[in-house]
Amino acid sequence: MRKVAIVGAGTTSFKSRWIEKTYFELAFDAVKDALTHAKLSREDIQCCVYGVYNDIFQRQIQPDLYIHDYIGMAPRPAVRVATGGATGGSAVRIAFSEIASGMYDIALVLGVEKCSDCYNYELQSSTPEILKTIRYTADATYEGPTGRTAAGTFALSVIAHREKYGTPTELQMAKVSVKNHRNALKNPIAQSPKEITVEDVLSSRMVCYPFKFYDNCLYSEGASALILASEEKAKEITDKPVWITGVGASLDWSIPGNRPNIIEFTSSRIAAKKAYEMAGISNPLKEIDLAELHDAFTGLEILAYEDCGFCNEGEGGRLIDEGTVDIGGALPVNVSGGLIGCGHAIGASGVMQTREIVLQLKGEAGDRQIRNARRGMIQSVGGTACAWTVVLILERRD
Amino acid sequence: MKDDKFDKEKWFESNSARYGIPIESLRKIFKNEFEGKTEIDAPLEIPDIIKVYYKYSYGQQSRFFRELRDNKKIMGAKCPKCGIVYCPPRANCSRCYVSTEWIEMSGQGTIVTYTITYYSPPTGFDRKVPFVIAYVKLDGSDFIILAAVEMEDVTLARPGMRVKVAFRKEREGRITDFFFKPMGPE
Repeated sequence: MRKVAIVGAGTTSFKSRWIEKTYFELAFDAVKDALTHAKLSREDIQCCVYGVYNDIFQRQIQPDLYIHDYIGMAPRPAVRVATGGATGGSAVRIAFSEIASGMYDIALVLGVEKCSDCYNYELQSSTPEILKTIRYTADATYEGPTGRTAAGTFALSVIAHREKYGTPTELQMAKVSVKNHRNALKNPIAQSPKEITVEDVLSSRMVCYPFKFYDNCLYSEGASALILASEEKAKEITDKPVWITGVGASLDWSIPGNRPNIIEFTSSRIAAKKAYEMAGISNPLKEIDLAELHDAFTGLEILAYEDCGFCNEGEGGRLIDEGTVDIGGALPVNVSGGLIGCGHAIGASGVMQTREIVLQLKGEAGDRQIRNARRGMIQSVGGTACAWTVVLILERRD
Repeated sequence: MKDDKFDKEKWFESNSARYGIPIESLRKIFKNEFEGKTEIDAPLEIPDIIKVYYKYSYGQQSRFFRELRDNKKIMGAKCPKCGIVYCPPRANCSRCYVSTEWIEMSGQGTIVTYTITYYSPPTGFDRKVPFVIAYVKLDGSDFIILAAVEMEDVTLARPGMRVKVAFRKEREGRITDFFFKPMGPE
């Protein structure tokens, strides 16, 4: 297997609505930003991987066709991936394989999502149509009709986890929300930079028990892009390549009823284990400098500490209580603000998380730069109760 | 020619009829666009809808829904090789790759986990919020099944709570034809 590096990263801002751009125009902006970052041109790209989650959001089945055209990538080979919230992470993983295999030397990864064109005229809001669209991703025969929302699928696991271990508590979840909103204050692309208190979170309205308003990420629109290259090309392109040294992925039984338990997320455990093995990591808490974890809901971030092996089962809440995951702690989590603070533009989110780690490792993260960051991690999660997980380890080696 | 001029009244009427949106809503939501104050380069929005009708086949799961609708029975499927009991059922064991056999399930079970939904979009399957949905392990099943638990005080739902199956009066051959009720004293 060949070594693979990230040589460029670009993005648009994440916003609740990009009324002035279509999904393919957002894609264009992110790709242009990534090419500029890498000092490459359109002609240098040899193959493309597109991450777009939901066709109904885009009002376009097979939106990748029209992205490919608009960003001028014809006639290169291209493939679109859609793995729910893990779409962005999966897109990076597939592009990695394209280069590691020796098939191509320079690959483009582009993740994009626009959801707020969906609109409910009666309620004069996008939210009902967005939730309705997501509900069609639940098993349509047995689970969808019960009224299970996206929040519901994760709430079921968090309650089961709390039943066994007593955590995550409401207070611990609130602290994650405060941290990620605060981290977003230093991220210029973030949708929800905010200084809020745990009381603000605890007193916000209940959406889906145990998740209150501030425990949820926001629906975002945006696009992020990366350029991946083989070792030989990477060294020509930049003197600061960011190496992808670990890749792990898993798709669990996607009907949670089929799983032995839903207290932990098996796909996340397997993906992390594989990525650590590949990168030679035995103690992630000590050996990783920062992580972008999938915080679609506060409780998920706490479960992710455990699934990613930062602590033992049932001890995730302690890491937020003790400040381990704060900026300045042993392993800062979601310095970008994560999906809660920066936003969740679903197909783009995993790419945005990866870009954050790339900037951090290159020392280009501005006010939120973690000093001497050399190794970072991305966890990208999607599907019913974390069915899909992709974990990536990125490193600089100079 | 005068006839070729864009007619906003016709636009409201035809879009209202085509998309089933009340004309007053359209007038309100697209007010700015038609007040003549919009810049030529400003984003232009149009109403649209994606609507598809189905005649969906349950395939080899059909008996489960017919038994539910006609006989008020919850059916499971047992693998003759490994013995696993699937409920919801499946015609093939996903582990052993052999055909399963139909069995009737107990109408009683235990809540494994639950959530209370306080906000739910209008979808056609709606019930009044807040409502409880739970993963329930039916006695004798190796699976957990997601269904509503109807209870007066939704905050009383707990893992470990014993529940029993109840059937709706008007059944349609859908998973929502049944729900759970706390077992407690009647």
